Amino acid sequence: MTRQSDVLFGFLDEDAKKEIRRALLKAVALPGYIVPFASREMPVARGWGTGGLQVSLSIITEDDTLKVIDQGCDGSVNAVNIRDFITAVTGVSETENTTAATIIQTRHRVPEHQLQEGQIMVYQVPYPEVLDSVEPDTARQKEMHANNDYAKLWVLLYEDTSQFGDSRMASGYPVAVNGHYVMDPSPIPKFDIAKLNMSPALHLYGAGREKRIYAIPPYTEVTPLTFADRPFQVEAFPGKACERCGSSRVFLDEVHLDDGVHYFCSDTFHCDTTLDSQGDDHAA
Amino acid sequence: MLLELEAVSKIYGIGCGECCALTGETGAGGAICPRCASVVAVNQVDLQVAEGEVLGVVGESGSGKSTLLQLIYQDQPVSSGRIFFNGMLDQKGERQDILTLPSTLKARLRGRDMSMIYQNPHRGLNFNFSAGGNIAEKILDANERNYQTIRSRALHFFTKIEMPPSRIDDYPDAFSGGQQQRIQIAKALSSSPRLLLLDEPTTGLDVSVQARILDLIKALQREMGFAMIVVSHDLGVINHLTDLTLVMKNGCLVEYGLTDQILEDPQHAYTQLLVSSKL
Amino acid sequence: MSTSCKLKVVNLAKSFTLHTLGGVRVHGFSGINFSLPKGQLLALSGPSGAGKSSILKTIYRSYLASDGSALFHRSDGSQVDLVTCTESRVLDLRRREIGFVTQFLKILPRVSALDTVARPLVEIGMPADEARTRAEDTLRRLAIRPELFPLSPLTFSGGEQQRVNIARGIIAPKELLLLDEPTASLDEKSSNTVLDMLAELKQQGIAMVAIFHDQKKIDRIADICVPVEREQ
Repeated sequence: MTRQSDVLFGFLDEDAKKEIRRALLKAVALPGYIVPFASREMPVARGWGTGGLQVSLSIITEDDTLKVIDQGCDGSVNAVNIRDFITAVTGVSETENTTAATIIQTRHRVPEHQLQEGQIMVYQVPYPEVLDSVEPDTARQKEMHANNDYAKLWVLLYEDTSQFGDSRMASGYPVAVNGHYVMDPSPIPKFDIAKLNMSPALHLYGAGREKRIYAIPPYTEVTPLTFADRPFQVEAFPGKACERCGSSRVFLDEVHLDDGVHYFCSDTFHCDTTLDSQGDDHAA
Repeated sequence: MLLELEAVSKIYGIGCGECCALTGETGAGGAICPRCASVVAVNQVDLQVAEGEVLGVVGESGSGKSTLLQLIYQDQPVSSGRIFFNGMLDQKGERQDILTLPSTLKARLRGRDMSMIYQNPHRGLNFNFSAGGNIAEKILDANERNYQTIRSRALHFFTKIEMPPSRIDDYPDAFSGGQQQRIQIAKALSSSPRLLLLDEPTTGLDVSVQARILDLIKALQREMGFAMIVVSHDLGVINHLTDLTLVMKNGCLVEYGLTDQILEDPQHAYTQLLVSSKL
Repeated sequence: MSTSCKLKVVNLAKSFTLHTLGGVRVHGFSGINFSLPKGQLLALSGPSGAGKSSILKTIYRSYLASDGSALFHRSDGSQVDLVTCTESRVLDLRRREIGFVTQFLKILPRVSALDTVARPLVEIGMPADEARTRAEDTLRRLAIRPELFPLSPLTFSGGEQQRVNIARGIIAPKELLLLDEPTASLDEKSSNTVLDMLAELKQQGIAMVAIFHDQKKIDRIADICVPVEREQ
């Protein structure tokens, strides 16, 4: 899609981009630390990915290739609209290919393909402050972050473990970044947490409604909070595989249809490429 | 000495530099500075507590007892003065004023070395956490990260306060006031603190519950050997629990001595009045 | 003699200032001098109101002396002036070296007689079972009926309370014992038992300052007698 000439490149004015980039630089310099920023009004409602959108628009250049996914899917309405919007205001090329993309804006998933150096993940974040669940006072939250005092978060883990045998947190599981700040990795499944640890890619988190930005730089240690004697358990799909491509060691979507429950890859690009390679095999 | 206070003051208000001198036990306006109308809640208090000692703080309402405790526990910033805690040293190995410690070390001091039991359980307990969670928080504060260890330690202290283990996962509002106070005690002791601060721990509880809680505190103190500072306006509680007593008036320390001496041979006019008013 | 001296009281005096009564001064006692060697019992004698109990309380630091000194000789050879040393020091001495047996039972309520008496032994590190056995023996010797052992002494008769009090005071004897009328309100037989026990303590080298009302008891047990006169 070519850019409409009467719109600024990247929609945001240069001052806005500059402010967001400064926040991003600070976020990268302090891995996991939450940086406030002046979230702009966007042509979509707050809560629909405006944080991710502003981050993407501030860092994007004409040479970038954009991929946008919603829960792993390139084709969902939200992903398509955001992708259309960004390409409309920048003219950059778009792709569904995880490996070919330089910027991947995502809602709630990390792609199955191994990310590469130079790639940037941009996450849409609903609730950036991991301590909100245990401490309502923002001044206290800041003190707790500064003092590396996460005892209250650990109490949640303790309570879940005592009452249910394991943590009940299905998504947005708290992670310690670079051995200090504990952050909410946005509502990605536990399954994706391991992909953040020592990832070659840069991960940027934008919360538009909450006006917060944070980041994980490349090759940074990311560890989920877990008790020393309780291994971290991720979602497992024992005996299940994608009904379309047959993949089994991926995050599967559970689809309830009239004839029962079906399982498909959550990552549509992964599913397509797996299917293609099988087609190639057949052709050969 | 485990704890030493040097000329510790707390002034609410703008302060004029002469507040402490113009107020105090003999000041006409009581604790209110006649020049700038600031309130001197704690007026240049010097104090020493040795390991394992039990100190009582008495005085009428508004004499600064609770504020003094909160200053020690760093619940409130100190206006002036210095506080030393045994083992807190600077890089040269000399004792360091804990008020100048970086916040991480201050937090550690509060989390590990000291504990506070408040009169109102809502201040000492997090009502969004279970009883066990509250106890666990203090253990987690001390950096324990092994679930089994935390759970068994929490259970250990929960049974120490004579509660049935089956109730450990209940939430504080499911317990009576006396039980909530017990849970506060379990929480406070679970990090094996060296100093326990108690602010009117049994005020507002009925007499039989009060007696059992005081017995429990006394027994645990004997067993674990931590030092205590007990604030109470009830001389019975002070007599029951403490070895040493400090008497406060208008934010000033007016008398300090062995508890039996304070009660049997009080020196200061105010202390004599206090003791003679005992029912 | 000086090497075995346990307590030396020099010119000890006490008066009370009652601020609640307009600062009136009340005389307690003055000019008390004595020296108590190890293994001996010193009796304070004199009429009621002469200040005998006040002297004991001043030595124990329940009262602050107005003048004079009370030098306590520790077994390591050092000396402590009980009038001027720090409160922490006094607490330490009370824990290990100086005991006080009052004429009134001052104990924790809700604790059984047996545990009350066994407590001082537990505090010096004796296993609880052994301490309880020793406590039982001592209580039996003082003719406390075994069915009373599990009850709080606060429910006992005056004489029984007194005996529990003595049992507790002497079961783990400290080097210096202050005894305020240990045989008051006891019958002849119990009194004799107590005096026998005090004689045994002397054998063990315990120094004691005691108040007795009865001159016969003083004659029987005391090595030194210090008369205390009522101030005119």
